[in-house]
Amino acid sequence: MSNFDNDFSRRLFLKGAGATAGASALSMLPIQAAFAAAFPEKNIQIFVPTRAGGGADRNMRAFTSVWKNYLKTNFEAGFYPGAAGRVGYETYMGKAKADCYNLIFGNMGPEVLNWVVKKPTFDLKSFLYIAQVDQDPGIVFVSKKNKKLKTIDDIVKEGKKRTLNVGVSRLAHPASLGVLALGRHTGAKFNLVPLSGGRNTRAGVATGEMDFGALPSGSVVRKQKQFDIVAVFDKANPLPNRMKKAVVVNDHFGMKLPPLYAGARAFGIKREAIEKHPDRYKVLTDTLQKVYTDPAYKKAVEKTKAPWKYISYGSPADCEKYVEYITAIGQEYKSLLTGKS
Amino acid sequence: MEIDWGLFADLFGRTFTFWWVILPAILLGLIVGAIPGFSAANTIIILLPMTLAMEPEIGLIFMVALYASSRMGAGIPAILVNIPGTAGAAATPLDGYPMTKQGRAQQALAISFVSSVFGGLLTTILALMAMPWLSQVAYHLHSVEMIVIMLFGISLIATIAAKDTLKGLIAGFFGLMIGYIGADVVYETPRGTFGFLELYDKVPLIPALVGLFAVSEAFAVIEGESILTKRGMDAMQKAGWQETWEGVRLAISRWWHIIWTSIIGLVIGVVPGAGAAIASFVAYQQSKTFSKTPEKYGTGHLDGLVAPESANNGVTSGTLIPLLVIGVPGGATAAIMAVVLQYHGVTVGPDLFDSQPELAYGAFTAMAVTYAIMILTVLPLARYMSRITVVSTIYMAPIIISFTLVGSFVPRAYVFDMYLALAFGVIGYVARKTGYHVAAILIGVILGPLLENYFLRALRISQGDVMVIFSSSLGNVMWVMLIISLFVPMYLDRRRKAREQALPTTTDC
Repeated sequence: MSNFDNDFSRRLFLKGAGATAGASALSMLPIQAAFAAAFPEKNIQIFVPTRAGGGADRNMRAFTSVWKNYLKTNFEAGFYPGAAGRVGYETYMGKAKADCYNLIFGNMGPEVLNWVVKKPTFDLKSFLYIAQVDQDPGIVFVSKKNKKLKTIDDIVKEGKKRTLNVGVSRLAHPASLGVLALGRHTGAKFNLVPLSGGRNTRAGVATGEMDFGALPSGSVVRKQKQFDIVAVFDKANPLPNRMKKAVVVNDHFGMKLPPLYAGARAFGIKREAIEKHPDRYKVLTDTLQKVYTDPAYKKAVEKTKAPWKYISYGSPADCEKYVEYITAIGQEYKSLLTGKS
Repeated sequence: MEIDWGLFADLFGRTFTFWWVILPAILLGLIVGAIPGFSAANTIIILLPMTLAMEPEIGLIFMVALYASSRMGAGIPAILVNIPGTAGAAATPLDGYPMTKQGRAQQALAISFVSSVFGGLLTTILALMAMPWLSQVAYHLHSVEMIVIMLFGISLIATIAAKDTLKGLIAGFFGLMIGYIGADVVYETPRGTFGFLELYDKVPLIPALVGLFAVSEAFAVIEGESILTKRGMDAMQKAGWQETWEGVRLAISRWWHIIWTSIIGLVIGVVPGAGAAIASFVAYQQSKTFSKTPEKYGTGHLDGLVAPESANNGVTSGTLIPLLVIGVPGGATAAIMAVVLQYHGVTVGPDLFDSQPELAYGAFTAMAVTYAIMILTVLPLARYMSRITVVSTIYMAPIIISFTLVGSFVPRAYVFDMYLALAFGVIGYVARKTGYHVAAILIGVILGPLLENYFLRALRISQGDVMVIFSSSLGNVMWVMLIISLFVPMYLDRRRKAREQALPTTTDC
């Protein structure tokens, strides 16, 4: 730190602290009512069905950091993890007001799959995804310290000799489905071990407890010093420069798997909110679409080291199509996901 | 990985110049650590806009200082009013609160501060020196080994049960049953949730913690005028600075105890997903096992306070090792710190030692400097903090209940959690009145889900073969150690009793 550039001086720090304290004090005053204006006139709540600090949190913060400029309001995130996203969705559907001030930000892939395995208590038709934020394919990865398994061929070859333990975030997850399908196709034996989230899955693979892992690529591609991505469940390798060892499973093994987007994060809302407040809904959708083309959003995404290439807008119709498609795959593998095979 | 000692020395001196960041972070950390429900992790999230406005180095120093001080802060209410601020401080009141009742709150606080600071400082230096080796721990402690570590902690139930075996075991199993409520980790099937969505993600720890300890305590103390015994009240009335120094002296005289229990914390902290709660219970259990006076534990024994406080601060530096060496955070706070640094464009992992060594080493120097500054700032406060114990229970009990109910609400913002804390308060109160040990219940609640998690993972890996728990050489060594640590004290106790019985006979002769 000898060449430390001390931009953040003591004075600035104290100024900042003073300003924060002042702002906090001001926010206590009942001045909001005096400025009743068009939507939105208060903060928007985001329900996140996973823990703070995860991929959804990161994506949501990057997106809302720009979206707030168009809506001229702030976002408040609430994290409701548990039971593979069920707690977050059930809480949102049960408690959030249908006023367009409450949204959910989830991962369509694993969360919709979970509904296939266990039906939620709410009517699926009463809920709608309104904008897909990213499209992140499922991948297979190994630890760089793994001396035996270096490529997907090594994995399949070894899997034919013994059952390999595969670290996955959840059983009902597109990346998990990809591994199951690969095993079925090649005859290799894979034993899925759910480790509750990307962080634990990476830890399981890094520490050698798991033979290899399967996750959305975004959570592994940033860790190139520790892991090699050896296969991707997509039409093509979306990041050939960053996933140099990754083969496309369909091409390599002659399979016809549909793309398994393990990360398909999206904003959702209650249909009732749209019906009650179509004007507000329009403001939401009009403004959020502007975010995708805003250079500030690209900067925010790149700051998180997530690949910008994965960011793509998906309309409500696109989202609905994705939900139907992932539901169909889930039905096909339901027995494997519930352990009733 | 070579350690650049020159850079380290330079950083150490330089980090001291950021006292103006460390000091407010320490104060904030002590406050959020002391309030149940708040933690370093959620405070860092709340302060995200502020840390983002800072330079990455200053942001890191701020976060590390907050993290270390919040760990110490959690012990303060645990000692003074039987409210552990976090699960990591759950073993602290076992001996800390009885000391308070005896009018030795000041000594207890000083012992806690000294143990925390020296435990934290020592393990920070050890972590830095032995990082390449310590990082290997995570490669060897897998689910099978973690099952045994959990059992070390859970075996405390058996030692607590020693005074009344049946009641102790009933309390322990009751806690374990509560701990298994929620969705299982494999198929996410909800169990024992009674239809409550709020229980799908397991019984939340803070309501259980504050309910069993604090709310039940508030119900109990309201029956008297003070939480202190009469002698304790007399002692508190006369207390001055000398009590603080007495605490410092008592803690320093237990330097060896601080060293080895903090190392337990460091080693457990290195394992991703383990944590301070496990470390403090294991350290307490080990401390009791190797004590010459195990019967004094739970009555205000100094070693029983030193062990968990040293261990949970040892965890703090331990959690940074997997984050920096294998790129996997050891705990929730370390994970959130990684996210914040990512917003600054810093990817935390082994390459950080090459690309930005001032950050990689800086995390440890910041922690060491924080501990050094902390002891100077917090120690004089022991005298004033301890005065809270002389407040009449008429005021104290409602304050404890309202404080803890707010604390129960904070982590998840569910009103349900406030009712849960009250329910646990009633359970704790009934347990106290009927002679069941609330600590035994709590150990089951905290460690039960972790044990189940590792057990189900091991079973999944072995595809249902229960013998997997004996499949690892290291695990088997640990099993033997567990059995020794359970049965040797029983054998020694029996031998001691036999000697005591034999002694009068000899005298008679």
